[in-house]
Amino acid sequence: MSALNSEIVIVSGLPRSGTSLMMQMLDRGGLPVVTDQLRQPDPDNPRGYYEYELVKKIKTDVSWLPATRGKAFKMVSQLLYHLPDNERYRILIMERDLNEMLDSQEKMLRRLGQAVAPREVIRPAFESHLQNLHAWLDRQTHMRVLRMGYSQLVTNPDPSIRAVGDFLGIDLDSVAMRQSIDPALYRNRQSRSETGPAL
Amino acid sequence: MAKIKLDDSLYERAQRAAQIAGYSGVEEFVAHCVENEIKRLKTDETEGPVADQLRGLGYIE
Repeated sequence: MSALNSEIVIVSGLPRSGTSLMMQMLDRGGLPVVTDQLRQPDPDNPRGYYEYELVKKIKTDVSWLPATRGKAFKMVSQLLYHLPDNERYRILIMERDLNEMLDSQEKMLRRLGQAVAPREVIRPAFESHLQNLHAWLDRQTHMRVLRMGYSQLVTNPDPSIRAVGDFLGIDLDSVAMRQSIDPALYRNRQSRSETGPAL
Repeated sequence: MAKIKLDDSLYERAQRAAQIAGYSGVEEFVAHCVENEIKRLKTDETEGPVADQLRGLGYIE
């Protein structure tokens, strides 16, 4: 793990894109992960969220960040803009068909008793967000990025697992990572083939 | 080309800032500021609904 000792690994993406699955895979694969387990497993994420509450405070508090060097934490994509540029990051961006993500988010919002935005409003907003995000990431010299398709990860995991190991430059337990994947949890699947969000 | 009016003190501050930042003149500096603000506002238009959704899902505060 020495190559990563000075860098911070971040698993990012939009909600319901497979970030919790990737965190679980890294954890079981042998990479230390940073999570407080405050957000408990629920029907939307029966294997847990792998979240760390301080991540949500990144806009006002970055004091916790140096302690995460050599480890991985999860951060929703909109917060990536607030990462200070005096650290180096390797960011795994999870990508999933936008309609699948929105279907899943809407179910989760309803379960949480939250308002559900009209699809004709939220879909273009997410598309624009992703376009801006990737254009911005391309300009960040202190961030290395690997984009990972959720559908491919679940249906044909071996190439994705190898890609993660190569990207991080470390030996991960690929068998344990593969065992983390339960295709039964790939719900809200679109009938058509996944091509990823329009970027 | 359209002209806009600026308060004298704001114009002087803009002149100084443009000089320090290496702009060719205050006009180039002001045009750049306006461009950036337009981009920011367009971003906010879309980031607002995204933020609302992420907040509802519990991913941001």
